[in-house]
Amino acid sequence: MGAIGATRAEAEAEVGKTEMKVTTTGTQPTPTAAPATGGRPAKTLETRGVDLFYGDFHAVEDVTMTVEPNKVTALIGSSGCGKTTFLRSLNRMHELTPGARVEGEIALDGQDIYERGVDPVQVRRLVGMVFQSPNPFPTMSIYDNVAAGLNLNAGRVKKTEKDAIVERSLRGAHLWNEVKDRLDKPGSGLSGGQQQRLCIARAIAVEPEVLLMDEPCSALDPVATLAIEDLIGELKSKFTIAIVTHNMQQASRASDITAFFNLEQTGKPGRLVEIGPTEKIFTSPAQQATEDYVSGRFG
Amino acid sequence: MPGGIRVEYQEELDRLEASALGGIDLASAALSRTLEAIEHQDVELAQIVVADDDRIDGRYLEVHQALITLLATQSPVATDLRLISALLHVLKNVERMGDQCVNICKMIPLTGNEPPSDQEMVKLILSMGGQTKTLLSQAKRSFADRDIELAQDLVRQDDVVDNLNRECFRLALEIGDDADRREWAMTMLLGARAIERIGDNAVDIGEQVAFVVTGLFREFEDASHPSG
Repeated sequence: MGAIGATRAEAEAEVGKTEMKVTTTGTQPTPTAAPATGGRPAKTLETRGVDLFYGDFHAVEDVTMTVEPNKVTALIGSSGCGKTTFLRSLNRMHELTPGARVEGEIALDGQDIYERGVDPVQVRRLVGMVFQSPNPFPTMSIYDNVAAGLNLNAGRVKKTEKDAIVERSLRGAHLWNEVKDRLDKPGSGLSGGQQQRLCIARAIAVEPEVLLMDEPCSALDPVATLAIEDLIGELKSKFTIAIVTHNMQQASRASDITAFFNLEQTGKPGRLVEIGPTEKIFTSPAQQATEDYVSGRFG
Repeated sequence: MPGGIRVEYQEELDRLEASALGGIDLASAALSRTLEAIEHQDVELAQIVVADDDRIDGRYLEVHQALITLLATQSPVATDLRLISALLHVLKNVERMGDQCVNICKMIPLTGNEPPSDQEMVKLILSMGGQTKTLLSQAKRSFADRDIELAQDLVRQDDVVDNLNRECFRLALEIGDDADRREWAMTMLLGARAIERIGDNAVDIGEQVAFVVTGLFREFEDASHPSG
């Protein structure tokens, strides 16, 4: 495992890298020519018997689940149940925390992303992350924020091509019309909701297979939240999406599949209690613990 | 309830369930009076049943509105959501049962103060009514206890009502040539039909019990596919 001790900023920068091929795994990128309005088949993330640790602390135990392609999978559960930790293991960001380690198998379309020789940077290119607080690079222009991933990795992307990618990404993030006349202004000048959409544009600029979102709306007002939820609904036509949320109505509105994580008591590892179609989880869950949590009766 | 969270919400939901199921008692009381009005050709009592239907409608409106408010403000999910959906159905059935009683009672004056009645047919209708009241109390108990077996047994009980209804039809056919007696029998047949529908409403409530408990809705009996 590499990059232990890297800062969050470095990790986030890595998310945007643009190498188009994971050479050590042979995973082929999806062609970038998909029309802006059309869908494209994305990849499946599967975990088998995943255990996550911070040093001696066993944070997540034995998670086996599938993040299905072109669907939105919501991870819900009370604080400390390990859902964010689990999310961060899906693009090898968990290991960036000193002492953190992963056991078990996580595969992207059958290819183990933790296999020896797999470059975590390439994994993060294919599995992008959007964070809780909008975090555009403050000194960069809107344009450069979106192009950051391209600039970081690809080296030579023609200006015209870059312009096209930036526009396509901003349109894809529902932001183009609001910023097209001020692309050279700093990203930090945008509203919270716009900044989050800018971060989504940055994440999708490099055409990842999977988008991970860690409470992407928790810092946003209700209108901006609904705008992001609409956007998530559209993005799934091109990407596989996993979203951690504390907002159960958001999970019920925005996701197709819901996974409920829980921990029996403080100090014990979090576990996946139940995963199923969102409609089922919110109308007739199979497990009493799920029922108690989604009904707001969790003690 | 683990954790003691959302106590007021839970109390409100419990209260609304009791209130909706109490509506079944109101409908049952209306049916009792209706049967008495039939037995004694009591036009005044029949008018009271008609006027009193406002109480049943009021219960419907009050609980319905409160359930909508819970939906809007508390985002109920899982069992709570199924319960609220089921209670809305229960209320609708209660309202329909009240209307059936009204339908019967509105017909009672039509048959005149001293109708050319057939005691055997009156007895059958009273028997249907009594059996239907049993169905109503069983529907209420099965809902309150979330007892699917008791709910499914409503179908068997309802068959008794249906058979009595058919028997009424047979008696009406054989009532003879007298025009007044035939008119009376036709009117009574409509009343028997209304009571038979109340029995069906009780079975519908039973189907909601199964939905609350299992999350799956299926008709206990499907009139359009009787063999199923």
